[in-house]
Order: sequence, then C-alpha cells, then structure tokens
Amino acid sequence: MGGEALLFLFAAIVSALLLFIMVYFIIMFSDLECDYINPIDLCTKLNQFVLPNYIAHAVLTVLFLITGKWLTLLFNLPLLGYNIKRYLDNKHMFDATEIFRTLPYDKKESFIKLVFFFVSFFLYLYGMVMAILHNKSLYA
Amino acid sequence: MGSQPPMTPQPMGSQPPTASQPPMASQQPFGSRSGTPQMSRPPFQMTSGQFSPQLSSRSPSPGFPPPPTDKAMPQSPNIGNASPQTGRHRQKYPDQMGKAYSNGPESLPGMNQGPQQPPQFFVPGNMGQPNMMQRDLQSPGNNFQNPMNNFQNPMNNFQNPINNLSNSFSNMNLNQKNVTSVSLFDAPPNVQTIDNCPEPVIPAQFCMQSSEKKNPPYGYCCSTLNAVPQNNALLQKSKIPFGIVLSPYKNIGPDEPEVPVTSPEVIVRCEICRAYINPFITYVDQGTRWKCNICHVVNDLPAFYSWDSKTRQAVDRNTIPELNSSVVEFVATREYTRGPPQPVVIMFVIDVSFQSIQSGMVATAARTILSSLDNIPNYDNRTKIGFVTYDSTLHFYNLNANLTEPQMLVVSDLDDVFIPAPDDLLVNLSESRAIIEAFLNKLGNMHKTTQNVSSALPAALTAANKILGPIGGKIAVFQSNIPNCGKNSLKKREDPSLYNTPKESTLLQPADHWYKDFALDCSKKQICVDTFIFSGQYTDVATISTLPRFTGGSVYFYPGFDASRAEDATKFSSELNRFLSKKIGLEAVLRIRTSRGLTIKGTYGNFFLMATDLIQLPNVNPDNCYALEVNIDKDLTSEKYVCFQAAVLHTSNNGERRIRVVTNVIPVTNNLTEVFANADPRAIAVLTAKKAVEKTITDKLEDARNLIISTCVDIMGAYKQAFTSSGQASKLLIIDNLSLLPVLIQALLKNIAFRRGNIPSDIRSFALSVLLGSPIENSLAYIYSKLYAIHILDANTGLPIPNTSEVYMPPRINLSMQRMTQDGIYLLDNSQHIIIWLSRGSNPELVNALFQKPYEAIPSGKTTLPTPNNDYATRINNIIEFIRKSRLISYNNLPYVYVVKEEDNNRGWFISHMVEDKLDSELSYPQFLSHLREQVNINY
Ligand SMILES: [Zn+2]
Repeated sequence: MGGEALLFLFAAIVSALLLFIMVYFIIMFSDLECDYINPIDLCTKLNQFVLPNYIAHAVLTVLFLITGKWLTLLFNLPLLGYNIKRYLDNKHMFDATEIFRTLPYDKKESFIKLVFFFVSFFLYLYGMVMAILHNKSLYA
Repeated sequence: MGSQPPMTPQPMGSQPPTASQPPMASQQPFGSRSGTPQMSRPPFQMTSGQFSPQLSSRSPSPGFPPPPTDKAMPQSPNIGNASPQTGRHRQKYPDQMGKAYSNGPESLPGMNQGPQQPPQFFVPGNMGQPNMMQRDLQSPGNNFQNPMNNFQNPMNNFQNPINNLSNSFSNMNLNQKNVTSVSLFDAPPNVQTIDNCPEPVIPAQFCMQSSEKKNPPYGYCCSTLNAVPQNNALLQKSKIPFGIVLSPYKNIGPDEPEVPVTSPEVIVRCEICRAYINPFITYVDQGTRWKCNICHVVNDLPAFYSWDSKTRQAVDRNTIPELNSSVVEFVATREYTRGPPQPVVIMFVIDVSFQSIQSGMVATAARTILSSLDNIPNYDNRTKIGFVTYDSTLHFYNLNANLTEPQMLVVSDLDDVFIPAPDDLLVNLSESRAIIEAFLNKLGNMHKTTQNVSSALPAALTAANKILGPIGGKIAVFQSNIPNCGKNSLKKREDPSLYNTPKESTLLQPADHWYKDFALDCSKKQICVDTFIFSGQYTDVATISTLPRFTGGSVYFYPGFDASRAEDATKFSSELNRFLSKKIGLEAVLRIRTSRGLTIKGTYGNFFLMATDLIQLPNVNPDNCYALEVNIDKDLTSEKYVCFQAAVLHTSNNGERRIRVVTNVIPVTNNLTEVFANADPRAIAVLTAKKAVEKTITDKLEDARNLIISTCVDIMGAYKQAFTSSGQASKLLIIDNLSLLPVLIQALLKNIAFRRGNIPSDIRSFALSVLLGSPIENSLAYIYSKLYAIHILDANTGLPIPNTSEVYMPPRINLSMQRMTQDGIYLLDNSQHIIIWLSRGSNPELVNALFQKPYEAIPSGKTTLPTPNNDYATRINNIIEFIRKSRLISYNNLPYVYVVKEEDNNRGWFISHMVEDKLDSELSYPQFLSHLREQVNINY
C-alpha cells in the first residue's frame, strides 16, 4: 500500500471517529430535551470532545495541504474556517446557562457536521481505493 | 451624594420593589383590558361599528397640534385648591418640543374605560391610583382562618359582569371588525391607566358553576395575551409576543390575602401529565372522576373529595382550597421529601478592606445583623449562621457555643483555601446566641485600623461554598471594592471610550467565566448568593451580579455608601433587616406545565434552567419574577382554552415541604380582533424588557434596543395590515387597549439600562438586574416613573384610606416637563428613588410647611423630611411613607428621598425621567411616534 492510500485510510478512520462523536452529540442533545440529563453534566461531557474534534479535523486538513491533495483540502477548508471562527469568538464550548437558548443552533451544527463527516468518510475510502488501484496499475 | 454628576445618582437604590399594589383580589369597575368581567361593556362588543373614530381632523404632524395656551395645562394642576396661590397665572416650562398636546386625555375615546373624571375635587378612588385602594376596602385584612375566601369573595359581587363575559365569549364571532382604534398622534398617552392592571379573569367555562373560579391575581401571573390565537399562523399575524410573567412566590402586602394552605391526605395529580388538581378541572361520571385541564385525561377522584369519613358527611367541594383557588399551597406528603428539609442557613461573607471600614458598612452591617437576630426565621431552633470576612486574607470565626470569646482564624493561602475548624464556623443560632452577639458587637471595631485595600472575594466565596456545601443555604456577600486579590480577581475594565460603541456590551458581560461556574456549582448544592455592593468606584457589577443571577438571589446596590449619612445607614439597615426576616422558600424547583400544543421557547429571570420547563432555585425569592415566552406548535382548534400551571416545590421556613401551585387558563380564539383586544401592554412591556436584558448580556446593547423597538413596530404594523384601510397612512392607529404600548416601549428605550449616552457600566448593569428580576408592578414603575403634582392636593389626598394600610394618592401625570408648571412641587417615584422637584417659583408657604425652611435654604440631594405638625406636611409625609413602605415590602427596596431644585446639578437626572420629552439623542414622544409611523409604513 502506498503512502497516499495510507493517508486516505488514516483520514477515513479519523472521519469515522468524528462521525461517531457527532452522533454522540446529537444523542446527548435529544437526551437533554427529554430531560434525561441535566445541562451541567451535558456540557461537561460534550466539552471534553470539542477541542479534540477541532484538532483532529485541523490535522487532517494540514496533512492534505502537505501532501498536496488540493481537492480534498478545498473540501475541508470551509469547516476549518468555521471552527477557527468559533474558537476565536470563544463560542466553541457549550455553556450550561445558555444551552437551551443555543440548542436549536447546536443541533443543526452537529447534524451538518455529521453529514459532512459521513460524506468525508466515503470520499476518503474512495480516495484510498483509487490510490491502491493506481498503485497496482503502475506496477502491474 | 447630592454633588454627584447628574447621571450617576440614578441607581442608588438597591433591591427593586414591586407591587405596591396587592393582587387584584377584588373588583374594581374598570380595567383597560377587554375580557375582564368588571368592564361596563362586554369585552368583545367594540363600541361603535367603525374603527378609527374620526377623532380629530387635525393633521397628524410629528408633534401634537399646537394648543390653545390655557388648555395646555394638563389634568392635575387646575384641580383643587389646597394652596391659595396656585390659581394664579402659571407659566409653562420652556417648551421643549415647541408643541403641546391639544386635547387632554379626557377627550380620548376608548383609551380609558375607567372612570374618566371631569375635573373636580377629590373623589377618592376615582383616579388611577386611588382605585387600587378602593378595591382594598373590600378585602381588608387577612383572615387566617379561611384565607381562601379572600380569593373568592369578591367574585360574588360579580354575577352580572360574569354573565356579560360568558355571553361575550359565546358571541365571540359576532363582532368581527368592530375595533376601536386610537389614533396615537391625536392625544398624549393616558398614563393614569397604567395602574389599571387587569383583574383576574373568570374563564367563561367556569363562570356558571356555583362557586366562581378565577385566574390568579395579576401580581402572581399575567399573560401578554388574554385570548390565545388558535394556531401559530394567527399568532404570527398579530406579531404580539406570547408570554407569561410569573411571580408564584411573590411578597404579600398588608392588605392582601394570604395564600390558602391545604394538606389533603393525598396530593391529587394527573396520571399522565402530573399536573396538580386545580379549580379548572372538570368533573365527570357524577363527580367521581376528573378530567385534567392540561392534557384532558380522565383520572379518578379520591373519595375524600366526596365524603368526609371523620364527620360522616358529604364534602362541600366549594370549601376546598385546591378546588377553588387558583393560587394554593399544598403541604407535601412524604414522597416529596428527600432527607430532612434544609434549615435556614446564612453565611455572611463580609469585605473588611479599608473602603468597607471607612464607609461604615461593616459597622452598620454588624449592628443590623445583631438587631435582626430575632427576626431570622428560626423554626425549631434549626437555623445556622456563620461569618467569613476577608481583605487580602480570609478570616474565619469559631463561634462554638462552649467558647467564651469568639476566635478569629486567619488563612492567608488564597489559592487552595483551607477551612480551619469546619464544624465550628457554621453554628446553631440558638445554641451559640451569646457568642454570636459578642462577635457582632466586636465586628464593627475589629478591623478598624486596617489599611488593606485588597479584597479576595473569590477565595472567600470558595470558602463559604465549602462550608455550606453539605447542607446548602444562603451566602450574603457584602462587597465594597472590586475583587482585586487572589485567583479570579477582576480588573478595572471600565473604559468610557467604549460607551455608545458596539464594544460597550462587553462591559456588561461577565469578565471571568469563573463567576458563572461558581454560581452553577452553588445552584447544584442548593446555595443562593445575594450580593450587597457598596462602592463609589467601579466594582464590576456586571460580573458580580452573575452570582445571584444563576442562584435565584438579588443584587443590592449602594453606590457611594457612607454610613455617616443617616439616609444611607437607614436604607441599608432597613433592607438588610428585611432581607434577613423575609419569608423565603429553600431548595426549590419550579416546574411549568402547559397545555399540549404550547412549548416554552424562552425563560427569563434569576435562576438556573435545568430543562425547558424546569427552573432550579436554591432559594425561591419573593422579590423575583420570571417570564416565559411560549410557542404555539400545534393547532389548538379543538381547545376551548389553554392552561398554564406553575408549581414551586420548596421548603418553607417552618421546615415543611410545600408546593405552591398557580394555575391560569386563557381562552382560545380564531379571531385576530380578539387577539388584539385582549392583549395587555403592561405584560408585553415587561416581557420585552426581560428579553432585552438577556439580549444585552448575551449579544449587544444595540441588538436589545432593536428588539424593543421592533416589538412595537411589528405589533403596530400587524394591526395596520389587518385593520386599517388605505388612506390612513398619515395616522398611526392601534387598538385602544394597546394605546399605552408605544409610550411604555419608548420609556423602556430611555431607561438607564438601554438608553444611549455615557452611562457607567456598573449603573447600567444594576439597572439590567432590576429589570430582569423585578416583579411586574415594580418593573412598570421603573420603566415609566410615577409623577405626582403635590402642590395641589385633593381633599383626601395623602390621608389614610380607612381600614387599609394605604393612602389616597394624587393622580399620576404624564412624564413631560410641559405637564409641569413653574410654581409647582412634584414628586417622582421611579421605584428606586423618590424625587421631590422644587421649582424656583414654588409656593413659599407650601415649601415652608414641608421643609420648615425657605426655598434657598433647602439642601438638595438625599433628605429626610422633617415631620412638622401641619396638614400639608403630614399628607406629603404619608404619601412618601406609603411609597417607601410598600416598596420595602414588595421588593425589599427602601427608596431614598431626594430633593432636586430647578437650578441644581441634579436637574438633568430628574429631567432624564421625563421620557415623553426629547433627551439628548433620544426622541420625544411625538417624534418617536413619527419614527414608528415611518417604520410601520416602510415595513408593512
Ligand atoms: Zn393531565
């Protein structure tokens, strides 16, 4: 397996992880709405995943930049930009006192990210397969 | 204090007061909202057939038409003749707008269904304010034996209006387009109607039963819409925000009935939605089962509601409080208690840095606490208190009953607070009484020589939290300084160059997240934080007020406190005494249940929101008020009415677990006219104020201003679209019952919390906390101050109303300098302060009677009026005392009395209350109306 295939494999695994985190977020939000969890616990639980989530995505994007995968880089840039903006505005963490006010927005955001990581996952798989096939065709 | 710059004295008060008016427990033959039973005409029969009566043929210009000069004098001054000279020529104040109103409110059609008295001598109870009092003649005193009756009594006089009401509900569809519109340009707002809060409604469905069941009095619960649109589309069409303003645990005035307490064998609740049984359920199956009014499920009714096994008699359900009174308190049975109920626990956290000692705050606090020890609720001798003081170190006090002298333990490591002798810092008030007294006697002098200007508030709070953690309780913080020492200290971030810029809102938001996190931690441990702030300097009220905001507490603010001034000392010690002695509910939660199809979209007030319908309150504070905004999610076509039930589970001061239940029902309508005709401008203004406070804290001040003004523009626009024909674009029309909305909205924009201008952020933050926390009556007076002319008194004005604790008040007048004369004496009550305005030309005899001094010798600023033995002074003192007493009871705020003379520096402060006049960059009322009209015409 070539380096390119490995890169895409790694990206696919990371996307899958991020995808699961988003599923977890959405489940927790609906738990909050159903009163199964209180806002303070919710925020402590979710907040520990926020920065790892941002960092993992940023690392992927940087990897694509280094390896010159321009198309996938372009695909990831908008989300990177959005994450950076949230971080700079200091709005990336969940605040227990405002969670009910921001909940509709947070849910929408998590859902869009979920779709994004879902698409990325298959995109990277496809990229990996193409890279393997390409490799084979080179040496066959 | 008198030499303060004009702007600053504003928020001198502390805790805002509320309802000087008791809940509207009995009837008054007026009320500006349709749908109330006491109206002389049925609610939905809208006067004559056509809307927009041709009020005036004058062209509505931006200003009101120029008046004939002698008519420009508004209602009050010409009336009465207590002063001999007032009848003479009278000059108006410099005409600020260049124009004045032409017709007095008397000529306003439909604006006030209330008693529109012709100018005459005093008919008590005839003008705005006195009505409240007359009402109280009917339910004097509170009889403990059967308090419930007080909630019902008044009803009996009501048969006719009730029938009118029920008729009108059945006629709902008949008068589709008969709307009485008011053209706002034609007349000034009739502010006397602000006080005419709607009476509690008897829902049509229940008015034919043998015992009439009515909604809670206004102070407990009021809705912006007293007829709920059938679906969201109709609500959106009206643009009126749908919300509820709630004070389920409100303070009870001396003339108000107590809430009936009931202890049934079993607390009956709906199987499905868990709503409590209430007056608005329906009995089915010959009264053996009941249908829930919230979810419509049918439940079994326990036998004890039908048959009393002890007396072996059938039960008269009309005597059972929970089946008849919409405000009721259940004594909780065992399943509502977890462990022993919390005792009253108070931890005093007192700043003893140089400023605190210098201002006399510590000595005054110690003296007041000492004298209030007997007033602290101490049922069963379970009450505990403790003290922590701090400057750059923490001082703990061992108050163990076995000691002969209190021991001071100093901890100087602020980063990792160590609690010495944890068992002896919080002691039983009764057991350690002697040593507590010894300590308080010393406390005033203990740190007398300190030069320490540091204040380690966060460390002191952490310590108090650790001590109280296991049992919960109350932390009372006394802070004179910006917390400038140790971890999480605050910096002086006030920067006047940010005023009036988008960055200003950063000054109004907490500087450090720790304070919010700490508050949440306290909330979790059932600890409530109340803050008393004393400082002439910047103290970062914005950050410190986060502590009470999320724990159900209050902010008390005494800028520039100096105990050597009698007024300051009295104010602080009265409020602290009341703070310690007032009734509070401990470890409380407030659950709000609504009919299916309604969901709560926003909640505003001092608390921590645990779920969209569950509010956590370490203390349920009677001074606080909560507002909800509601969405209509589903079509309500099949519903005749919707229902709100607020239930506060709490521990009362006698150690009992109790549930205060407030139930409110509102009819549903499919008719836009009825939605408008039953909207309440007071509740809309107060809800909007609370929303705007939230917006200021989370977004920007300008966003909050836009929210306020767009609320008004949208409502006016929606009304225009629905009810105005073309060709009326030059007019600004609104249905009569909403005619006060623009003036309230404008006053809100000019409130110190929201107006533009160079306003110190501490002052703004305090104003925001008043608006966010205070109950409806207090908020209304804070938004639109009460102005009275006191140089001319009616025969009864200022005399006590027999059999009540109230006083006949003068009529309110509009907040405009044009309504004032140059020889007048005026009294302004903005809920935080009482300001006496002396004109240069004030009648010297009256001035002398009141102050015992000539005009020139009267000092301006905070004053204590002399109490000379003459009729005039007695009456004025009665009025002032009445206002102060009712504010102290209703919102724990004892307003200062200020004297402002016409040529004073403080003149600008007084004038800033004149919200109908132009002020700096803020518009005058007619200009504001033009602006509204412009916006409405652009957008609709
Ligand atoms: Zn139910």
